[in-house]
Amino acid sequence: MASSLLTPGQDQRSATVPAGRHQRPLRERLEPYLLISPTMLLILGLMVIPIVIVIGYSLMDNVVTNPTPKFVGISNYVTILTTPAFWSAAGNTLIFTVGSVVAHMVIGILFALMLNSKTMARVPRAIFRAIYILPWIFTASVVAVLWRLLLDPSGVINYLFTSVGLLHEAVPWLATASTALLAVTVINIWSGYPFFMISLLAGLQGVPTDLYEAARVDGAGFFRQFVSVTLPALKPILYSMALLDLLWTTQQFTLIWATTGGGPLERTEVLSTFTYKLAFNSYQFSMAATSAVIVLAGSLVVAVFYVRRQRKAAQR
Amino acid sequence: MSAFTSSALRRRVRARIGLYFGLTLGAVFAGFPVLWMLSSSFKSNSNIFAYPPKLFDSSFTLAPYLAVLSNPVQIGYFVNSYVVALSVTVVTLFVALITGYVFSRYEFPLKRIINVVIIGVQAVPPITLLIPFFGIMVALKLYNTYQGLIITYVVFTLPYAVIMMTAYFDSLPKEMDEAAKVDGASAQSILWRILVPISVPGMVSVGLYTFMISWNEYLFALTLTQTDDRRTVPVGIQLLMGQNNYLWNEVMAMSILGSIPVLVLFLIFQRYFIGGLAAGAVKA
Amino acid sequence: MSIDARGRSKRLAWKTTIVALVTAVVLLVAGCTGTPSNNNANTNQKVQLTFSQWWAPEMPAGALQNLIDQFQTQNPNISVKLISAPFASLQTQTISEAASGTLPDVVGLDGAWVNPLFKQGALLNLTNAMKSANYDPKDLASQVGYNGATYMIPVVNFVYPLFTNDAILAKAGISSPPKTWSEFTADAKKISQSQAGAKGWVVPLGTTNPNGVQNDILSWAWASGGSMLKNGKPNLTGNPDVTGAVNLVKDLVQSNAVLPGANGLQETDKVENFINGRVGMMVDSLAHVTTITKGNAKLKFSVSAQPVKDGYMGKPGILTASWGIGISAKSQHPAEAWKLVQFLMSQATNSKLSTLANGFPGNKVSKPDFTGADPHFQQAFAIYQRSNPVNEFTGLPAANQLMTDFLNEFQKTVANQESTDKMLSNVQAQWQQQF
Repeated sequence: MASSLLTPGQDQRSATVPAGRHQRPLRERLEPYLLISPTMLLILGLMVIPIVIVIGYSLMDNVVTNPTPKFVGISNYVTILTTPAFWSAAGNTLIFTVGSVVAHMVIGILFALMLNSKTMARVPRAIFRAIYILPWIFTASVVAVLWRLLLDPSGVINYLFTSVGLLHEAVPWLATASTALLAVTVINIWSGYPFFMISLLAGLQGVPTDLYEAARVDGAGFFRQFVSVTLPALKPILYSMALLDLLWTTQQFTLIWATTGGGPLERTEVLSTFTYKLAFNSYQFSMAATSAVIVLAGSLVVAVFYVRRQRKAAQR
Repeated sequence: MSAFTSSALRRRVRARIGLYFGLTLGAVFAGFPVLWMLSSSFKSNSNIFAYPPKLFDSSFTLAPYLAVLSNPVQIGYFVNSYVVALSVTVVTLFVALITGYVFSRYEFPLKRIINVVIIGVQAVPPITLLIPFFGIMVALKLYNTYQGLIITYVVFTLPYAVIMMTAYFDSLPKEMDEAAKVDGASAQSILWRILVPISVPGMVSVGLYTFMISWNEYLFALTLTQTDDRRTVPVGIQLLMGQNNYLWNEVMAMSILGSIPVLVLFLIFQRYFIGGLAAGAVKA
Repeated sequence: MSIDARGRSKRLAWKTTIVALVTAVVLLVAGCTGTPSNNNANTNQKVQLTFSQWWAPEMPAGALQNLIDQFQTQNPNISVKLISAPFASLQTQTISEAASGTLPDVVGLDGAWVNPLFKQGALLNLTNAMKSANYDPKDLASQVGYNGATYMIPVVNFVYPLFTNDAILAKAGISSPPKTWSEFTADAKKISQSQAGAKGWVVPLGTTNPNGVQNDILSWAWASGGSMLKNGKPNLTGNPDVTGAVNLVKDLVQSNAVLPGANGLQETDKVENFINGRVGMMVDSLAHVTTITKGNAKLKFSVSAQPVKDGYMGKPGILTASWGIGISAKSQHPAEAWKLVQFLMSQATNSKLSTLANGFPGNKVSKPDFTGADPHFQQAFAIYQRSNPVNEFTGLPAANQLMTDFLNEFQKTVANQESTDKMLSNVQAQWQQQF
């Protein structure tokens, strides 16, 4: 809606800018740069420079613990990329991230639709909304402590599962090789879906009601309405939220470190814990930097998709 | 006719029952862990793992809360968190407003590249930057200061804040400022007098996001501070978990206390928050 | 004319905004340069030392500060600022500080950190410091160093005896704590089978903090006079003591005689579960006696030497962990920093410090003060005097990584993915890369 309103204005601007560009005084042309200079200064100084330093580290034999590092080119990259542990961590990261993002999306849509239901009165809606938002307000280290408590072999979840007969005996979810990755993914799903839910809830406010009316007149049921009206309307948000979530989840460290530390049998070792161990367990800071740069490169691919998506949205 | 209404009615009742059933199921998933946290914060430490687990048992006590609230060091963590999170929110909001305005209303060469950089840096895993970041903070003499933490979080929250603010301004019709410009208003007054007042929802959602991130961040808060008079709540919670023995109940009590401000803020601003995201989301 | 004026005012307004923005950022960055954390230009020309450690949080509140106050009274020209953090977070911080050259003057050290800090040249050669202070190190129980020079001095030593819960043992019909591996295995199984809700032993095998390898697996080999090293190099394959220790622990985990979920447990979980009567036995630091009595005053428990291999008659070893101390190579006041170290190692202070910490003094002449102390403390001191203190991980390169490697392979052998011999040869190969 809003974008269609904008189009004429934008056209006008793009028509006038080329003509006026050369006449505008230097100061005016510099104005936008000056205005965004604080942002650029901060990002350059505290993001780009550290990244450049890290890239520099990755090309040395070892830094920090080695007072006289030597340049070794890409040999660290070769080493890391031929380490099976790196690939298994990458695989775990993929499962963890994709599982989390998909579940965030599904749960987010489901909860947002329920909360958005017109049949609900205001008070219960506010109450449910407050409850649904709860997981979001806890910091990752607290979430980790809480779920260690819940998932303990003598904790409440095992108690409930065994007493209703779902399990024969208590399972140490976080300490069993076959369930640990699932368990940390569930924890991450729990702590991360609300941001999706709220954004989608916001997106739902923007879906024009007359579209639903029209669909209903055409005899579309709830499911058809969802597929043909809601989903297309939410697509842009879903897409950009999924990409952002992909970036954020890949970076998840505290949660996994504080629950499993990458174990058991390295089944929950993700790239962030792998990198941390290289740095602070074996003090191979160059290797850690290499692994980090590889993660960064992977993330940048996602970022490019995101930017492209944003640009397309801006052009519409 | 009457048959039609009654079947429609029945369908509506069924739908409503289904809805509330779903809502309750969802609420259990979302709320049960928090409820358990609340219940654990009122138990004695030795009863945390009592079997079978009970929501509230005979050991009900307020002692964990009193222990946290009567400890000046832990109160200090809360003060530090407030100082840091509020300052970050103000700074990020101010900078993001102007940057978002420029991205939304100006055309200039390099705009696209700068935009890519701003979005791209979001992809950087913060843990990667720890060692160089630490070095820079020490070189700037910002180690173990409020300013160091504030700047760090401003940098971490700025990209998303700029994206959101740009999207929000994009969703406001440009005719408005074009008209004001024709009337002779400066770009300056267009931003502060016209756009900012109607952007409150967008600002609230950016502000809440920023506050939340800076209130909850752990890794850098731990590494960039050294003494108790600069440490924040998440670090304090971790410290409480101690070396020899978890004080589960106190950890839970402190987590609850630490989360209340965020919850209250959310409840106060939720209308604006969702509105702000909605406008941003349409464009995003 | 009016358009021009408007343009000018517009420009002025923007200029103001830009100036405000830039000042805000500059102020943020620079506004605090006046308050650096270690300001040397003190008005009284006092020397200010910083001293980072994890000890204060583990001692009675204010106890370490009291000792420091005493030092400051004796040395009116030196003031000491304590920087206290819990053990787990201090490691990351100490390494980062060393990397950026901001290590505090005096640093609390763990045996696992010495090697990387030494390698990057962050630690002062204490042998030289002792020489220039004319200090005779004959009273120091031990020193940790490289190439004949000392870089860390253990200040307080903590032993790891076997803790047994009297009530649980009695209920299982066990009259006295086990003395040999086979007795220990039998007792652990007996407890686990006879009592609902209680297990015989607790072994933390979580990788967040991998020190279960040291405390709960290899300690069995050390207690029986074994070693994991030979001439300073890893010696795991074909080593009967290490093989025995691995098999002992593996057997107990596989026969469910230990607290379930071992792969996710940390050292902290041991005390937690011992206090609450869910395990009958644990090998743990004597320092935790205070935590245990504070957590459950009614609990009756005993401490005894860690059981030894059946038939072993030699002098037993006992796992010892230390609070170590070192000086930053970049310290502006190495002489004053040494004075603080010397103070902490002096006979009177050292015995006071170790008593407060439930540890044993790093000064040979110091005697722990048993008056009013927990009786377990005195029992453990007797065990300590009968045994050889050991901890082979102290000073090794990347000790944490060595333990993590060991743990990952150990988890595989417990899951029957590989034999003990295969496991040890895998670990041996991984360790050799770190040495």
